[in-house]
Amino acid sequence: MATLQASGLTLAYDKVTIVDELSLDIPAGQVSIVVGANGCGKSTLLRALSRLLKPAGGQVLLDGADIHSKPAKEVAKTLGLLPQSPTAPDGITSRELISRGRYPHQGLFKRFSAEDEAAVNRAMELTGTAGLADRPVDELSGGQRQRVWIAMALAQETDLLLLDEPTTFLDVAHQLEVLDVVSELNRTRGITVVIVLHDLNLAARYADYLVALKDGKIYAAGHPTEVVTEKTVKAVFGMPSRVIPDPVAGTPLVLPIGRQRVLRTESVLAANGIFRGDAPVNEPRALAEGLEQDSAVIEEEAQAATRAVAEADPNLARPAREHLQTLAFQTTVLRSQQLSPSFRRLTVGGADLEDFGTNSHPLDMRIKLLLPPEAGFGPNSEIASLRPDALTSPAEQLGWYQRWLAIDPAQRGYMRTYTVRAFREAGHRDNLGTTPELDIDFVLHGKVVDGRLQGGPATEFGDRAQPGDPLLLLGPNKALTDDSYGGIEFRPGAASRIVLAGDETAAPAICAILESLPANVTGHALIEVPETTDILGTTTRSGISVQWLTRGTAEHGSLLRDAVRGAVAIPGAGVVQTTADPEDINVDEDILWETGQAQSAPFYAWIAGEAGTVKELRRYLVRDAGIDRKQVAFMGYWRRGKQEN
Amino acid sequence: MSAIEQSTRRHEPGRPTGVAARRSARVRIAALWMLLVLLATAAAYIFWGRDRLPVDEVLQVLGGASVPGTSFILMEDRLPRLVVGALAGAGLGISGALFQRWLGNPLASPDVIGVGFGASAAAIAAMIVFGVNDWKLSAFALAGGLAVAAVIYWLSASGQRTGSRLILAGLAIGAMLQALIQFLLTQTEVNTASDAMRWLTGSLSASTWERAAVLGIGLGAAGIFLLPVVLRQLKLLELGEDAAAALGLHVGRARVLLVFTAVALGAIPIAVTGPLAFVAFLAGPITAALSRSAIHVPLAGLTGATLVVVANFFAANLFAQINLPVGVITGAFGAPFLIWVLVRANSTGNGG
Repeated sequence: MATLQASGLTLAYDKVTIVDELSLDIPAGQVSIVVGANGCGKSTLLRALSRLLKPAGGQVLLDGADIHSKPAKEVAKTLGLLPQSPTAPDGITSRELISRGRYPHQGLFKRFSAEDEAAVNRAMELTGTAGLADRPVDELSGGQRQRVWIAMALAQETDLLLLDEPTTFLDVAHQLEVLDVVSELNRTRGITVVIVLHDLNLAARYADYLVALKDGKIYAAGHPTEVVTEKTVKAVFGMPSRVIPDPVAGTPLVLPIGRQRVLRTESVLAANGIFRGDAPVNEPRALAEGLEQDSAVIEEEAQAATRAVAEADPNLARPAREHLQTLAFQTTVLRSQQLSPSFRRLTVGGADLEDFGTNSHPLDMRIKLLLPPEAGFGPNSEIASLRPDALTSPAEQLGWYQRWLAIDPAQRGYMRTYTVRAFREAGHRDNLGTTPELDIDFVLHGKVVDGRLQGGPATEFGDRAQPGDPLLLLGPNKALTDDSYGGIEFRPGAASRIVLAGDETAAPAICAILESLPANVTGHALIEVPETTDILGTTTRSGISVQWLTRGTAEHGSLLRDAVRGAVAIPGAGVVQTTADPEDINVDEDILWETGQAQSAPFYAWIAGEAGTVKELRRYLVRDAGIDRKQVAFMGYWRRGKQEN
Repeated sequence: MSAIEQSTRRHEPGRPTGVAARRSARVRIAALWMLLVLLATAAAYIFWGRDRLPVDEVLQVLGGASVPGTSFILMEDRLPRLVVGALAGAGLGISGALFQRWLGNPLASPDVIGVGFGASAAAIAAMIVFGVNDWKLSAFALAGGLAVAAVIYWLSASGQRTGSRLILAGLAIGAMLQALIQFLLTQTEVNTASDAMRWLTGSLSASTWERAAVLGIGLGAAGIFLLPVVLRQLKLLELGEDAAAALGLHVGRARVLLVFTAVALGAIPIAVTGPLAFVAFLAGPITAALSRSAIHVPLAGLTGATLVVVANFFAANLFAQINLPVGVITGAFGAPFLIWVLVRANSTGNGG
């Protein structure tokens, strides 16, 4: 088996260096595919590997010896090349063309021998071109023609076959036809194949060894599953993408991401009676969220639970559902689904949820999860008395949160605030169960230690929860609340232009809001997530354009800041007073939580996520852009660098 | 015949089938006809032309006898003319076909791309300036043709070397050389200039056995030693330079050898007969039309020979009193054909 290597190879045309000190071992008996952006030097590399181009530095080693030290004919007996665009002479038949591949095996005066004839027949057999033998090459289809050329290179009977963009100008079926033939040759005859290809997905599918070239250097090389990552695609092609397993071949599949400004078409589709939002039963609809929030907000909200119905006797014990706005619901985890590396969705259900809800769309509704401590819950009458059927009096409930806080955390566990991603009553089209169910999306952030994700209690719970695990949560009492419920902050009033902005912790709320918006609303939804894999689908009937910003190595919040500045421009001088500086809030000590009141302004913004970023955006929108603070909701869901407890 | 039948049928080594077989059959038939036309015209020229010679005397002369008058006309005029014409036509035809097939363009014949003018200019300069008039003229013509080929090649080599670039460069060089030839003629004494002019239109009138020998040796050497190699390499070169190199061909050497051979085969006849207009240009496309396939180089040689012999017959017999230079006839027939090629090239999109 012949070996081919490049060692410190430098290639240049007229002193312009194309390939720079590149070293590469072509794995013998495998299919190697070289990919890269236009002009990265991949074809130049192939020319050098096939002795067509003399290196400016370094060597190409064929069977360990410099390829230029060998006679051209000797090389041609070991190494075949199909150049990018060979020309077939007028009227030549396939057999005649293929026969020309025998040149290196023929002497100066030797006639075409029986051995040559046999080689030509074999080559035609292997490429399925025997039936085309007598046809003029210029009358063949693109795929057939390319197979004939491959047959010509095969008639050379070499151990190595190099192909330069063999699929260029072919339609997709013919591309596969050509690559199938080549990979078949490799599998059946053990020919070492090197292909330069520009289609990354086909390369990932057919390569045993994938080489990604960038600016004349190898950026990554190895098995496609190692090489084809979002990072590589971004670096080599300068294009953000998602990489998912190819449902057909199991190899990585690259889905390019443009600017994702596509959702406006929803309204166009809706006009034709098509609703993509009507997802099939039990398919993940979109992402939801999790947020972990400071206890001060929890405390403030906990008071709502004790706002008993005014007229009732404060000492009369009655079922909690009759007088408490906030109830505790005992639920069970029904399903757990990894949406992306950063998001995990838990679907919980239970009979208690019959009393859950606000009789309106949940929007960005917050609920409290009571996360069990390590050892599991101890007896906890404070929470038990909040369950819908618990007999309790309003007076009993006063100060329950302080009493709960006083319990040792090792017994009571932790309380964390999340937003509801979706709520489905029993009988809802997508709810197969007999009780209502809730989707809650957890943002998983933390470190993986010994194969287990180490993070806050919510992250760990979200990561490890299994179907059947119990989950206690606090939420609105359906009997006593409506869409003015205090756990919902999205109050656009009559606004027709809306900006929704947030990081991954706000993504579930933004997605839920998007699904509720009517068609006459326009604006922007800007969602910053860690990686391209965290881009999750969402649907909206509105004219909101949804833009997912993938952070990568950028600073948290920086992409979001730029995008909000792009979406909300500073008005021209004199239009508004733009110097009103909002009072400073120390986001490390206080909660940044300002929610506007319902009003009739045409513009409304909803900004949530990391408190520092939210604060900066608040400063920009209020001071620089001069937007009335009543038109904007600013919610610091969490603070970077601050311990959750 | 179905594809399956074709693929299962045993294929005899070296024997083309189907399309290829029909094509080689057409080439053989065309060659046969061409040869017949050549011989018939030659016979007509000998026996039947103006100043008709008695058949029995001609046969006696051909049999080796010496017949006053007839012997002279036949042996010193008509036969050398035929031999020189056929040889020159064959050389020009092969030369043109090589260029045309290599560059894949019928316009790429040496008389269009200026190589012919290079040979002419060198020969004229040698005649006028150095008074050369023997076999050395061939060397000058060859040197001139090669020099022009080298210049054109160098001009078209910047960037991608394509047929159309080479043709355009050749046209420009050709125009310059024509100006040079005109200048040389104006600088010359009238009698010499007149001879040179006659030579320039392409004429067989100065044919002698000695010149036929020069032609025969020169063309024979190129045709026997170089042409077989060039034809073999051409089969690879026409696949594209990368494909040819991948098959183990030294593309650079092969190119130089091809240009040298083609220029030699074109320039040696020019030195003897002058530039016979359009013979190199016509022969190749005629073979392509006859075989309904690519240009056939050896057949183009035979075609070139036939063209010149036929043109010679017409030149001698078209008008009662005037003996036209043969180049006038080839030019008169060739020009309309050039127009036809241009029109056809435009419609098929492979024009220069």
